[in-house]
Amino acid sequence: MIDGERHTTPHDHVCWAYDDPEFLADRTARHLAASLARGERFWYITPQPTDLVAERLRALPHFAAAERRGAAAVVSLASTYSPDHVVDPAAQVAAYAAATEEALAAGHTGLSVVAEATELVRTPAQLDVFTRYEHLIDRYMRTGAFSAVCAYHRPRLGDRAVVELACMHPQTNVEGLLFRLYAVAPADGHAALTGELDMSNHELFRTALDRADLRPTDGELVLSASGLRFLDHRALAHLGEYAQRRRATAVLRTPHRATARLVDLLNLPGIRVEAAA
Amino acid sequence: MRTGAAAQHHGYYHEAVRYASDEELLAVAVPFLLGGVEAGEPTFVALGERTGGLVRSALPAGAAVEFLPGGDVYARPTAAIRSYRQLLAEQVAAGAGQIRIIGEVPPVSFGATWDWWARYESAINHAYDDFPLWSLCAYDTRITPASVLADVARTHPRFATPDGRHLPSPTWTPPTEYLRENRPIVPDPVETQPPAVELTDPTAAEARAAVRKADQGQVPVDDVEDLVVAVSEIVTNALRHGRPPVRLRVWAGDDRIVTAVSDGGDGPEDPYCGLLPASDGGPGGLGVWITYQSCNHVTWQRDDAGFTLRLTAGNPYTG
Repeated sequence: MIDGERHTTPHDHVCWAYDDPEFLADRTARHLAASLARGERFWYITPQPTDLVAERLRALPHFAAAERRGAAAVVSLASTYSPDHVVDPAAQVAAYAAATEEALAAGHTGLSVVAEATELVRTPAQLDVFTRYEHLIDRYMRTGAFSAVCAYHRPRLGDRAVVELACMHPQTNVEGLLFRLYAVAPADGHAALTGELDMSNHELFRTALDRADLRPTDGELVLSASGLRFLDHRALAHLGEYAQRRRATAVLRTPHRATARLVDLLNLPGIRVEAAA
Repeated sequence: MRTGAAAQHHGYYHEAVRYASDEELLAVAVPFLLGGVEAGEPTFVALGERTGGLVRSALPAGAAVEFLPGGDVYARPTAAIRSYRQLLAEQVAAGAGQIRIIGEVPPVSFGATWDWWARYESAINHAYDDFPLWSLCAYDTRITPASVLADVARTHPRFATPDGRHLPSPTWTPPTEYLRENRPIVPDPVETQPPAVELTDPTAAEARAAVRKADQGQVPVDDVEDLVVAVSEIVTNALRHGRPPVRLRVWAGDDRIVTAVSDGGDGPEDPYCGLLPASDGGPGGLGVWITYQSCNHVTWQRDDAGFTLRLTAGNPYTG
C-alpha cells in the first residue's frame, strides 16, 4: 500500500504524509518532472508566500521554463481554497474542474497539483469537511483530467488525522493503513474498497463511509472490492445498515467466496455479494 | 396436538436409541415413523446410507416419511443446529403439532472429533426446546466406543428401547452443567511438530497473515478463507475479552491447517457459545458461532494456563 515511489498518472490521487519537508521537496520535484513530461499543467499549492516557494522551485530542472510558458505555477493555498481555511467541498471541486478545463483549453493534457494542505485540516471540524471534500474531488478525478498529491505534515496533524485522510485516497505512502475507500469510474460502481476491514479499524471505516456520503442509484450501492482481502461480520453488517439508511442494497463485488458465505450465514439485510474477478 | 410417548411433553422430547442389531434399530424406528405418519406429523429420517436404506426398505411403499441426507446434515454441529432449527420453524409455521426425526451422528465422528458432537447432543436439549419435536438419536453399540455411549447417556434425558419403553437416563446431565465441563481433547499429531508460525499478542491482521502463510495448497481455497475468518474472530475475541498473553500457533499438516488461539482468561461464560449465536448476547459469541461453522473441527479447553480454542481446516484428525 505504499505508493510513495510511484509517479502519478492522470486520475491519480495520492496522500503524502511527510515528517521532513525535504521529503516533500524531493517528491514534488519528481512529480513536477512526471507531470511536465505528460504535458500537464502543474500547480504547486502552498500556504507559504508564493514568491519564496517559486524561487525555490526554479532551482528544479524545467520549472522556470514551464512557468514562463504557463505550464507551471505556484499558487497560494488561500487563493485556491477559501481564505478562512474551511473548504466548501462542492465549490472547491467546481473550482478545480474549471481550472482543469482552462488547462485543457490552453493545450495541456490536464491539470496536476501538489497541494500542501496541512493548514486546511488542523481542527476536527476542518478535518471532517476536508475528508468529505477529498472523496468528492476523488470522484471528479475518475472522469476529469485532474490529478493531485495531497501533502500533509504528520508532526502537526498527528497519526490519527493522517490515517483519516489517507484512507480516503486510492494511493498513499502512509504505512500500516489497513483499508482505503475511494471513488471509481461510474461504470465500476459507486466506490472501491481495498485492504482489510476488522475490529481494529471499524470506527475508521464507519467514519470514512459517512464522509464518502455515497449516493445510491436504482436502489443499489455498488462497491468494487477486488482489492479487499478481508472483511469481518461487523464491517458487512455495517455496510448493509449504511445502504439501508440510504434506501438501497449494498452490492459488494469481491472474488472472495467466504464473504458471500458469511452474508448467507448471518442472513444480513441490505447487502448482496457478487462474484468479481 | 402431540402424539405417542411425547404426547404430554412440552418442547423437545429428546431420546437416544442404543441398538445392538439391525432388528433392534427397526424395532424402534419403524413404529416411531409410522406413528408419525398416522398422526399426520411431519416425519423425517436423517440416518447414514446403510441404516437409512435399512429403514427405508422396512417401511411400507409410499409412506409419507422424508429422508434427509444424514452426512450433509451432520457435517458440522452448529450447521446442523441451524438447519434443523430452520426446518422445525418451517414445519411449525405450516401448522405441525409435532415433528418426528430419527437421526444419527456419523460413526466417523466417534473419534477425535467426538468432543464437539458431545457438545451438540447436549446443547440441542436447549436449542430445539422451542419446538414440539420428538427425536431419536440412534447409536449402534457394536461400533460406538464406551466413552461415547457414556456421553450419550449424559446428554439424552431418556432412552427409547426395542421393546417399546421410554426410560429416563440415570446419568442425564442438564446442558448448562454438562457444557461447562472440560471435554477430553485428543491432541492432533501435527501438534507434536513445532508450529509453522507462533505469535504472541498478534493483531487480527497478523493472525490472518499467519494462516495464509501456512496455506501451501494442502487445503481447499474455500476452507483456507473460512479459517482466516475464524482465526481473525477468535484472536479479536481473545484480545478484547480474554487476558494476555494471547498466543497463536499454526501448524501446517499434509491435508489440514491447525491453529490454536490461547489467552490467560477463562473463555466465554455462555455454555452454548459456538453452538448457538450468542444466546445471552454475551461478548464475542457471534465470532465463535461463525467459527464453528467455518472450521471442520473446533475444540475448546480450559486449564490452569487459560483458555484455548483449536481450529482445524481441511481434514480434521479423527483418531
